[in-house]
Amino acid sequence: MKKIATLLLSAGLVAMSAQAVPSPQEDLKHFRDYFQRKFPGLKLDELRNGINALDENHRMQWEAMEEFPPYEEFVDKGKALWEKPFKNGKSFADCFGKDPSKVRVKYPQWDAKKKRVVTLELAINECRKANGEKPFKWKKGPIAWVSAYLGYMARGQKIHVVIPNDPDALKAYEHGKHFFYAKRGQLNLSCADCHVKYAGRRIRGNLLSPALGHVTHFPVFRGKWANKSKDGDGLGTLHRRYGGCNKQQRARPFKAQSKVYRDLEFFHQYMSNGMTINAPSYRE
Amino acid sequence: MKKRTILTIGLAALLTAGFGSAQAGHSSKLKAAYEKELAHAKALVEKAASVEGEWRDIRWKKSKKKFLPSAIAAAKAGDYKKAMKLLKIVEFQAEMGYKQAMAQKNAGPQNYGF
Amino acid sequence: MKIKNLRITTAGAVLLAAGLVLAAQASASQSALAKGKKLAFDRKKGNCLACHQIEGGTQAGNIGPPLMNMKQRFPNKAKLRAQIWDARKRNPHTIMPPFGPHRILSDKEIDLVTDFIYNL
Ligand code: HEC
Ligand code: HEC
Repeated sequence: MKKIATLLLSAGLVAMSAQAVPSPQEDLKHFRDYFQRKFPGLKLDELRNGINALDENHRMQWEAMEEFPPYEEFVDKGKALWEKPFKNGKSFADCFGKDPSKVRVKYPQWDAKKKRVVTLELAINECRKANGEKPFKWKKGPIAWVSAYLGYMARGQKIHVVIPNDPDALKAYEHGKHFFYAKRGQLNLSCADCHVKYAGRRIRGNLLSPALGHVTHFPVFRGKWANKSKDGDGLGTLHRRYGGCNKQQRARPFKAQSKVYRDLEFFHQYMSNGMTINAPSYRE
Repeated sequence: MKKRTILTIGLAALLTAGFGSAQAGHSSKLKAAYEKELAHAKALVEKAASVEGEWRDIRWKKSKKKFLPSAIAAAKAGDYKKAMKLLKIVEFQAEMGYKQAMAQKNAGPQNYGF
Repeated sequence: MKIKNLRITTAGAVLLAAGLVLAAQASASQSALAKGKKLAFDRKKGNCLACHQIEGGTQAGNIGPPLMNMKQRFPNKAKLRAQIWDARKRNPHTIMPPFGPHRILSDKEIDLVTDFIYNL
């Protein structure tokens, strides 16, 4: 009898605490409302342009860049890789389906069997491994080319991350959400400090972009990364950028495609649901 | 004349040897203290990492400071004093990173206003 | 005549010496202020310019209020130091880094920065 009472009580507590956590749908609504109130002059799909939407100089530089996009040759390399058969005669199409424009919108997705978030880049490398090919390096180069090609082919479609009503999927989502809001590193900063609370302000010489719409143009082509590479390849994946921002917090960056970053991506991409894909795009 | 020189050299050698072994005893004590400290520091770093609270400059390969690997390198070069100093920084940063993660356990969206 | 002359010279020397001491003191605090400024502007140290406009600094951010007229804002220098040491005391959610508790700056460095900011 006592046991049952305790059980009921704890069930009640669990139900209560479950109720206290807002659903992803509610989070999304608040997230969007916040930015739309903060930047009342900008339409939802303008916000995805980050600092290029907020500052005239950046906008002009960006528009000039987009006339002769520096990423085009790397998107073409991605296309070639997509079409090139593996040694076993199969190709990416055998993993992802024949239509390259239908791939980007399916990721990140929840893998119910293995209870994990699968990002587009993870799926690309798992496809290679399954076909006896060496996986690509995670943050730049061929993986970013293929991902950029798939993003390019999906331009105009809307981000559509599905978070199933499965406790494990919700746990991964909550983990990513917590990572986004928690202060970390010696400087004690959170992603939200810079990209939510103070979006639109300047930190030293840098304008801070709103997190809403962040993911629409990834992999991104950065001038800074292009300058660092030998052949002007400025493409980098979302997880490469996560590492750079963790470093700014003076926190130790996590490995690209680690559970932490995949969960973060699950939350981060979900917050841009309904926004139009525009990958890849130029940033400074 | 010659005898005297030999004697002097012999005496000097004796003194050096004696001094050297005293130093060796001292340094093996230092080494033991260092090893104990190193194990402690490593445990604290793992604890911070287990809650995703590790800071940048403890051991990340691209950090310019890399306090933990630098401490190990200093000890290898025989500079235990420097190694111990660096380990203290590692311990401080690891403990603060852990505490920070605990304090941020309930972090979430706030009412930011504008 | 000679004696008088000597007296004047002595007086002059005393005055000169006093002047030198004063000048030395002034330049000591001047150089302390310069040290504080350097720490406040250095991206690897205080980097206060990341968020605050400060006279003489370039590429300042606009996350926090401009730091000016500080003696009016903080007549009590200890309060100013406490704000720089740990801004969380006044605002638990602040974006301003806890310079003291996280040892981003040492005690001495915070003294130097406080002096510099106090004199803005
Ligand atoms: C100290 C402030 C700061 C913090 C904290 C921070 N970032 Fe950033 N982040 C920047 C700056 C500056 C840029 C470059 C300008 C811009 O686009 O906002 C940037 C850029 C980005 C971009 C690329 C935006 C684009 O349009 O291409 C993403 C994505 C991003 N950050 C995600 C994150 C995530 C996730 C976190 C937390 C792990 C984080 N940031 C933490 C400052 C910060
Ligand atoms: C990451 C941004 C950031 C950095 C870096 C930063 N601050 Fe601040 N600071 C703020 C914000 C924001 C406030 C406003 C109060 C608040 O939100 O806590 C503030 C408030 C202050 C105040 C109180 C101002 C007033 O009039 O009440 C002082 C003084 C100050 N900061 C000094 C400094 C000094 C000195 C440094 C460098 C050692 C520094 N800050 C670095 C963001 C920052």
